[in-house]
Amino acid sequence: MPVNAVGREIPETIAGKPVRPFQGAFATVPQGHRVGGPLKTTRPGAGKLAPSLEEAIRRSGLADGMTISFHHCFRDGDKLVLQVVDTCARLGIKDLRLFATALFPCHEPLVRHIQDGVLTRIEGSMNGPIGAYVSQGGKLKEPPVLRSHGGRWRAVACGEVKIDVAFIAASEADPYGNANGIHGPNACGPISFSVIDSWCADHVVVVTDNLVPYPAVPPTIEQGYVDQVAVVDQVGDPAGIVTGTLRVTRSPTELRIAKLAVDAVAAAGLIREGMSFQAGAGGTSLAAQEILARKMAEAGVHAAFAIGGTTKYLVAMLKEGLVRTILDGQAFDGEAVESLRTNPQHQPITPGFYADYNSLGCATYMLDFAFLGGTEVDLAFNVNVNTHSDGQLLHGIGGHQDVAAGARVTVITMPTLRGRVPMIRDQVTTVTTPGEVIDLVVTERGIAVNPRRPDLAEDLRRAGLPVRTLEEMKAAAERLVGKGKSPIFGDEIVGVIQWRDGTVIDVVRKVEDWA
Amino acid sequence: MRLEREAIAGTEERSDALVRVRPGEGLTIDVRSKSGPMYRERIEAVVRETLTRYGVSGAAVEVIEAGAYDHVIAARVETALARATGGGEAFHQPLPLVATRQATARDRLRRSRLYVPGGNARLLAFAESFGPDCLLFDLEDAVPPAEKDAARFLVRRVLATMDFGRTELWVRINPLDRGGREDLKVVVGGRPHGVCLPKAESPVQVTELAGLLYELEGRYGLPWRLWIMPIVESPRGVLAAFEIAQASERVVCLAFGAEDYTREVGCSRSGEALLWARSHLVAAAKAAGVQASDTVFPDVEDEAGLRVETLSARNLGFDGKGVIHPLQIDSVHEVFAPSADEVAWARGVVEAAEAAEKQGLGAVTYQGRLVDRPVLLRAKRTLAMAQALGMEVGNAG
Repeated sequence: MPVNAVGREIPETIAGKPVRPFQGAFATVPQGHRVGGPLKTTRPGAGKLAPSLEEAIRRSGLADGMTISFHHCFRDGDKLVLQVVDTCARLGIKDLRLFATALFPCHEPLVRHIQDGVLTRIEGSMNGPIGAYVSQGGKLKEPPVLRSHGGRWRAVACGEVKIDVAFIAASEADPYGNANGIHGPNACGPISFSVIDSWCADHVVVVTDNLVPYPAVPPTIEQGYVDQVAVVDQVGDPAGIVTGTLRVTRSPTELRIAKLAVDAVAAAGLIREGMSFQAGAGGTSLAAQEILARKMAEAGVHAAFAIGGTTKYLVAMLKEGLVRTILDGQAFDGEAVESLRTNPQHQPITPGFYADYNSLGCATYMLDFAFLGGTEVDLAFNVNVNTHSDGQLLHGIGGHQDVAAGARVTVITMPTLRGRVPMIRDQVTTVTTPGEVIDLVVTERGIAVNPRRPDLAEDLRRAGLPVRTLEEMKAAAERLVGKGKSPIFGDEIVGVIQWRDGTVIDVVRKVEDWA
Repeated sequence: MRLEREAIAGTEERSDALVRVRPGEGLTIDVRSKSGPMYRERIEAVVRETLTRYGVSGAAVEVIEAGAYDHVIAARVETALARATGGGEAFHQPLPLVATRQATARDRLRRSRLYVPGGNARLLAFAESFGPDCLLFDLEDAVPPAEKDAARFLVRRVLATMDFGRTELWVRINPLDRGGREDLKVVVGGRPHGVCLPKAESPVQVTELAGLLYELEGRYGLPWRLWIMPIVESPRGVLAAFEIAQASERVVCLAFGAEDYTREVGCSRSGEALLWARSHLVAAAKAAGVQASDTVFPDVEDEAGLRVETLSARNLGFDGKGVIHPLQIDSVHEVFAPSADEVAWARGVVEAAEAAEKQGLGAVTYQGRLVDRPVLLRAKRTLAMAQALGMEVGNAG
């Protein structure tokens, strides 16, 4: 079996399709042209409003074996995916490929539709129960494919995934198909993940619970790409975009990690006028943002921009003038949505703008530094965000690959132990992001510097920061818990992890045993 | 060792394990682990090893593990066994020291002393990385009476196993007449550097503790003499502070505890109300040639307040301060670190003294002021501290 550039065995074909193994973060030279949806026209006076979601599905021509797509901007509060798949089941449509950007615990009832053959293939992130379910193997006709935000945009734009019917949940839409996610009682944030779906799908259905007179602005999704508009009681519950992690941690360990992470970028000279950063929504990242804000205020410097996922903490930095512009692909709380609505410096962006490999510019490439998490890291600095050490596929990629590849200094923050499971491994269970784009790993025990960055090692030492090797930190953690067993993987592939350029960086195999 | 009854120990909380032992024929060990099959055998081995240590050959053991480290599981098994057998001498035998540890100097840096509840596995899980100058495992106020035995065993295992780098390790025992003797017998086997004596009110308590330590050090062949830190937290204690500090060569630091003191005196916790007690304690400590450490600052959220109180303590002559949360450590360390100006002054004084000595001059002046012996000693101490903290101190000193 061929071995890719991070040493993983990758089959030559998966589900009958040839596989390009990962060759390096920027090795792929794209070929060919972008694809688009079919050419269509309309006449003045023609309407698009469907009498019901069911009728919209009927009229869309959706049939067995087709691909349906969704965005995940309602996160764990999404109500559209289930409504559509339930309706398809009722209509007797089966063998569908579900191409949502991400699935969450609220989507657990889909298991029934997988068992009944309504859904036979899934592409996209699976956070929680659906991932755990498909990890058991034998559940789907083809292994699920996981892509980063940028990777998904690329896959649609180049025709790697053809969408038959795109369903786009909108918290505000007009009867002509213009739609956004920032207005309405159930506003959820930018719904820009779906822009590429609207451009490339054969058929586009905007679904809203808040129909307004023409024109709905801003038209994140534009009328010219929309076939039908359907109205339902509720497309999603915005309370679900706030997850349990969205508050600054009080854990001394996580706070120490956050402080070390900020100290590290400060030592590298990156807290300066005109700086830029990305920080996620995990407890440690939020704590790091808070510490960063204090440091920036003390130093009297301002960031030119920050990239969201946005929370109230980043919004506060925008309001205080510490950050001049937020480039935002995803809102993580109500304050972020409110800011998108009211502050012109809070700019919604598409994955195409910030993350697409097949493009001549990514906002992530303009980043000075980024704080990212992970479930494991290995001695080659490879990071796993998809599986746990027991082999369970439980998380999506999100923007991890896109940000890590782009930022000048990519900082991974994680404790050395979660419960009694060590996070630093000889080899990660699954490679999501290759070590070549990771610069620092910060744990409560110190900071490991990728040997590719001797300049950073020098900066950190000069600042008196605790520079340790991953080997040292791994040994310190294992002293307390020993070395556990590792899963033995069988042949069956239960997940395909694409690098953002469409090559395969790793596959997740079914766990057969332990050794 | 025979089990007389069923017993349980520990909890199902994060980083802990619940262990149940029952008398039985042969050994049966049943493990339910939060991480599934990953550590099941390892945990079984830890249980078996602990049973073997105590010569238990007949027991049914059940473990519900929720992210507990090996030494936590061992401590919970130990506790359950002690409860099932009534305890005894076998449980006092010191553990093999797995961690690297060295003796500490009498006058080392003790800017921060962090209290960690001795019975709480979750709060102890990351204790290696907190980095205070002194870490105090608390068996007294932080542990409810029914869990004192469990906390002793846990603290002993933590001490013997975890690597705390340059942190000096202390155990706050219970008063000697209320469980403190039993505390000592168990925890000295983890090789702490010293013992904190709460509610110190008379030199007799200190000499009694010193005697017990002497005996235990001899019996168990401990690698160093344990230090004593009396905690003065009553008006009586403040009045006897000098005698307490002088009662034993082992005393290296007097700590002040404001909470009990204010209650007994009936005063507020303001700086003004505590000024006399604090100043008296510092004077007593310094007269006896030991360090003084101020009371804890109770509000974790109030960083500015912590800095103000710590600075005031430093100005009064305290060498350190108690903290109740790892988050408070950095602020305290920063306040106790010499400022760049102070380091420059100290370097100037030392250089002037060296130059004067070379030229054979008796009287030394710096910046127009006489440098006598106490001034020179203070300057040297400042430089030593700056050097210990990795500050830039130039070539002098």
